[in-house]
Amino acid sequence: MNRRLPLVLVTSAALALTACSSGGGSDEPAATNTADNAGKTVTLWLAGGDTPDELRTYLKDTFKARTGATLSIEEQAWPDLVTKLTTALPDAENTPDVVELGNTQSPTFTNVGAFLDVSDMYDELGGSKLLNSFVEAGSVDGKKYALPYYFGSRYMFYRKDVWKKAGVEMPTTLDQFNTDVAKIATDNPDQIKNFSGFFIGGQDWRNGISWIFANGGDLAKQENGKWVSTLSDANSLKGLEQIQQIQRLASKAPADAKDQSPWLYINDSDTVLDADGKPAGTTSLAAATIMAPGWAHGSIGDLTKQDGKDVRVWNDDTFGVFALPGNDGKPAPVFAGGSNIAISAKSKNPALAKELMKIVFSADYQQKLGAAGLGPANSDYVSSLGDDQFAKALVESASNSKLTPAAPGWAAVESAQVLEEFFGKIRTTDDLAGLAKQYDDKITPMLNLS
Amino acid sequence: MTSRTTTPPSPAAAAVPPVPAPPTAAPRRRPGRAGRTGGRLPLLLVLPTLVLLVAALGYPVGWQLVTSLRKFGLQQQFGAPPEWVGLDNYVRLVTDPTLWAVVVRSVVFCLVTAFVTVAVGGAVAVLMNSVGRWARLVLQVSLLLAWAMPVVAAMTVWIWIVDWRRGLLNWLLVHVGVEGAAGHNWLAQPLSFFVVASVVVVWMSVPFVALSIYAGLTQVGQEVVEASMLDGAGGWQRLRYIYAPLVAPVLSIVLLLQVIWDLRVFTQIKLLQDAGSVANETNLLGTYVYQLGTGKGDFGTASAVSVLMLLLTVALSWRYVRSLMAQEN
Amino acid sequence: MRRPRTSRVLLTVLALVVSAVWAFPVYWMLNSAFLPNVVLQSTTPTFLPFGGSLDNFSAVAGQPAFARALGVSLVVTLTTVVAALAVAFLGALAVSRFRFRGRTSFVLALLLIQMLPAEGLFIAQYKMMSSLGLLNRSLGLAVLYTAAVVPFTIWMLRGFVAGVPADLEEAAMVDGLSRVQAFLRITFPLLAPGLVASGVYAFLQAWNEFTVALVVMTEEQSRTLPLWLRGFVQASASRETDWGQVMAASTLVALPVIVFFLLVQGRMSSGLVGGAVKG
Repeated sequence: MNRRLPLVLVTSAALALTACSSGGGSDEPAATNTADNAGKTVTLWLAGGDTPDELRTYLKDTFKARTGATLSIEEQAWPDLVTKLTTALPDAENTPDVVELGNTQSPTFTNVGAFLDVSDMYDELGGSKLLNSFVEAGSVDGKKYALPYYFGSRYMFYRKDVWKKAGVEMPTTLDQFNTDVAKIATDNPDQIKNFSGFFIGGQDWRNGISWIFANGGDLAKQENGKWVSTLSDANSLKGLEQIQQIQRLASKAPADAKDQSPWLYINDSDTVLDADGKPAGTTSLAAATIMAPGWAHGSIGDLTKQDGKDVRVWNDDTFGVFALPGNDGKPAPVFAGGSNIAISAKSKNPALAKELMKIVFSADYQQKLGAAGLGPANSDYVSSLGDDQFAKALVESASNSKLTPAAPGWAAVESAQVLEEFFGKIRTTDDLAGLAKQYDDKITPMLNLS
Repeated sequence: MTSRTTTPPSPAAAAVPPVPAPPTAAPRRRPGRAGRTGGRLPLLLVLPTLVLLVAALGYPVGWQLVTSLRKFGLQQQFGAPPEWVGLDNYVRLVTDPTLWAVVVRSVVFCLVTAFVTVAVGGAVAVLMNSVGRWARLVLQVSLLLAWAMPVVAAMTVWIWIVDWRRGLLNWLLVHVGVEGAAGHNWLAQPLSFFVVASVVVVWMSVPFVALSIYAGLTQVGQEVVEASMLDGAGGWQRLRYIYAPLVAPVLSIVLLLQVIWDLRVFTQIKLLQDAGSVANETNLLGTYVYQLGTGKGDFGTASAVSVLMLLLTVALSWRYVRSLMAQEN
Repeated sequence: MRRPRTSRVLLTVLALVVSAVWAFPVYWMLNSAFLPNVVLQSTTPTFLPFGGSLDNFSAVAGQPAFARALGVSLVVTLTTVVAALAVAFLGALAVSRFRFRGRTSFVLALLLIQMLPAEGLFIAQYKMMSSLGLLNRSLGLAVLYTAAVVPFTIWMLRGFVAGVPADLEEAAMVDGLSRVQAFLRITFPLLAPGLVASGVYAFLQAWNEFTVALVVMTEEQSRTLPLWLRGFVQASASRETDWGQVMAASTLVALPVIVFFLLVQGRMSSGLVGGAVKG
C-alpha cells in the first residue's frame, strides 16, 4: 500500500496539470491511472434529498469513467447531519471523503480543522467566480476549506386573486410590502377565519432576518477578533419592529411555527365533503402570501389528478412570485440558503476526492444543478437556471442575499435554537429592545469557540 | 430471594413481564437449594453478563466520567488535546440557573407522569380483573396494540392529533362547543406542551404497568376472594384488604421503573420539540444533554450533566432501592 | 351474589371505552394509511377509510430501502433477543438460585445501569465501534442492544426462575433423570412463559431503538427500520408531508411487532402450567 502512495500523488499532480491546461472543461481525457483505482471507493455524503437522482448517477458514472474508482453516495438527513459529521469526520477509518453540509454549518467545522485545505485548486474550480459569501463561510485565515455546492434563495409566493380583491398593488419597497400584507389580513376579502396577509411562523427566523438585513442590521459582527451578537443595534431593531408589526397585524401563524411547509396555507386544497360525500366547498386557504425556497413551487397550485394521483399544478391566474423588495431599489437581502462541499481532512483518498471536486465544479455538472433548479456555485452558469418566473425570482433575490455570520460558534447558536426562541417571543413582548439585548447577551458567548 | 416463589402469570397475562412477587405473596415452600453458595458455579453463570456489560458499557461510561472532568468540545473531538479542568464543568453547571430549571422541570414531569401512569395502570388492571372474559380480551388486545406501536410511529400520530390546524383534538373541541380551540396550538406553551408529552408517555407506558399489575392481581387465590365475599366484604373492602397488600410490592417496583424511565425520557420530548414549542423552555434532562453534546458540541459539560442526572436518579429512587435490597437479603 | 347486573354492564362499557381510547391512535394510523393525502390534508377529519386504497402501502413497500431496512432490523432484533435471553437466563439462575458473594452488588448494578442516561454516550459508542471495526455491522448494533436489555431481562427472568422450585427438579432426579434431563424436561417448560415475556421486552426495545442506531449505522444499506421511518418522515416533511404514506410506513414498521405479539401469545398460553407450581 505504502509503495503505491507516491505513485498516486504523482498521477494526481499530473491530472491537476492536465485539468488546468484544459481549463476545467467537462470533456477531459480519462485519467491514466484508472486500473490502479479500480478497487478504491470514495464516499460522498449528500445532505437531504436536494440533489436529484439523475445528478447522483451522473456523478457516479463520470467518476468511474475518469478515475476507475467507485463513488459511493450516502444520503444523510439534515437534522442528523451535525451528529454524523461530529462522529465520523475525525475517524480516519470511516470518514466520508467528501461531504455536503449547510453553508451556515461550514464555519464551525472549518474552524476545528475538519476539512482539507483546497486553496491549491481553488482557482481551477472556479476561483472568484464562486459564490463569495459561501467561500467566506468555508475559509479560515484566507485558506479555502469548504466551497459552495449550490444556493437557493427565498422569495415570495402570493395569491393574485386575494391581493386583487383586497385592492393592493404589487409592492416596490419593503415598507409598502409591510403595509400591503397588513391590509390584506385586516380586509380579509374572503372572510376566512384566521387569515394571514403574510404567513410567517413565530419562530421562523430564517425568513424573518430578511427584515433585519433590509434595514441595514445584522445578526453579529466581529470586534477586535471577537464575535458579538448585534440584535439590539439600532438598525437591527428597526427590522425587528417591522417583524413585530407583521406578526401582530399580518400573520396568524402560531408563535411556535418554524419555516416548514408554509405552502400548505396558500393552496386552495381541501374539498370538504358533506355527509353524502358531496363537496361542501370550504377550502383551507389561510394565507395570501408566503416566503419559501424556490423549489416550493412544485407544491403550490391547483389540485389535479394525473395518472390517478393528486398533484399540484401551478396556475398563473391564481399564483404569482416576486422577490422581496428592499427600501433602496434593490431586492431585500434575504437569507441565502444552500450548501457547501468539502473534503475531509482525514480522507484516505485525497487525490481521488479532489477529482470528485473537479467533477462537481465542472461546467457540465454546474449546468445540471441549474437545470434542476439549484443555484450553481459558479456564477458563469447561473443562466442554466432558465428564464421562467421562478428562475428570475431566484436570481433576483439571490443577487443581494446574505449569509448568517461566519462565526465559529454559529452552528451552536442554530442547534441550540436560540433564534427560534427569540423570534417566538417578538409578537408578545412589550420591550423589544430589552428582549433583543437579553438575547445578545445569550448569543455572544456562543459565537466564539474558546 | 430464594425463600419465595413466584407463580408464573396466568394465561390471561400473556406477554406480561411478571414482577418479582413480594415475600408476602407466596412463601409457600423453601426451594431446596435456598441459601446455597454454590461454589464457583454462580460466578460462572453471571460471567457472560459481566463480560457483556463491561465490553459494551465499560468504555462509554468510563469515557463519560473522564470527559466530564475535561474541557472537551468540538476542537478536542477533532484532535486538539483535551485539558483537565477538574470539577469546573460541575461547578459551572450547579451555579447555572438553567440547569436547575431543567432539573425541576424533569423531576416534576417524571413524578407526575410516573404516578399518573401507575394510577391509571392500576385502575385498568382492576377493571380487567372485574369484567367478563371477552371484555378482558378486548382490553388486553388494545393495550398490546398500543404497546407494539413503534415510538416514531406513535409520535407521528400523536403530533398529528394535536396539530393546531388539522388536528383531531381541536376539531373535536370545536364540535363540542369550544370555539376557541380552533387553531389553538398546544405545543406553543410549555405547560400545555408538557401536558401533551405526559399524556403521550402515559399512553405508551400504561400497557406494561396495567398488564404487570393484572398479573399480580391474578395471583390472589380465588378461594380467598370467595371466602371474603361470603363474609360479606364489599368490592372496595376486598380491594383494600385483600388485593392491595398483595399487589403493593408489584406497584412499588413498577413505580420505581416508571420513575427511572420517565426521568430519562428523551425520544418523545425530542420529537415533540421538533414539531413545535420553544426547545429551551421545554428541555428535560435527556434533551438538555443532547442539546449540549450533539447540538453545541460541548461534550465535557454534557457528560457532567449525564453524571449529575445519574446521581439525581439514584437520589430519587434511593428509598425504594434500599427496601428492595433489604428484600434481596 | 349481591353484585347488581347494572354495575357489571357499566364495568364492561367502561372497559370498552378504555380499550377504544388506547387503540385509537393505532386505528388512526391504519385508517390514514388507506387514505390519499388530499383527504388527509383536510381540516375535517375522515374517520373511516371508505374509498381508500392500498396505494400508500404499495408506494412505501415498493422502495428497495424498506426491504433492506426490514432485513437489517430482523437480523439485529433476533440476534439481540436470542443473545439477551441466553445471557440473562444464566444471570437470573445465579441470582435466584444461589447466594454468592457480590450478589447484592450485582443486582444493584443491574438497577443502576437502567438509570444511565444514554444521550451522552454516543460519541464514545461510536469510537468503540469504529475501533473494533463494527460500524455499520448488525453484529455491533446487536451487542450494544443486548447489553442495554440484559439487565432488565435478568430482573424479569429471575422471578420466573425463582417460581420453579428446585424441589421439582430434584424430585425428577430421584426418579432417575440426569440433572440436564431434569432441567430440560421439568424446569425449562415451566420457564417458557418467562422467556417469552422477557423476549418480548428485548424484541420491542431492539425493534424500536433509533438513537444508537443513528450513530453507529452510518451507511444507507445498514439502516434499521426506525431509521428508515425517521428518514422517510423527514424527507416527506421537507417537501409536503404525505401523511398517508408516512402512516402506511409506520404501519409496516409496527406490523412485525404485532405479528410477533400474536404468535407469542398463543405460544405462551399453551406453555403456561401454573398448576404444576402451585401444587
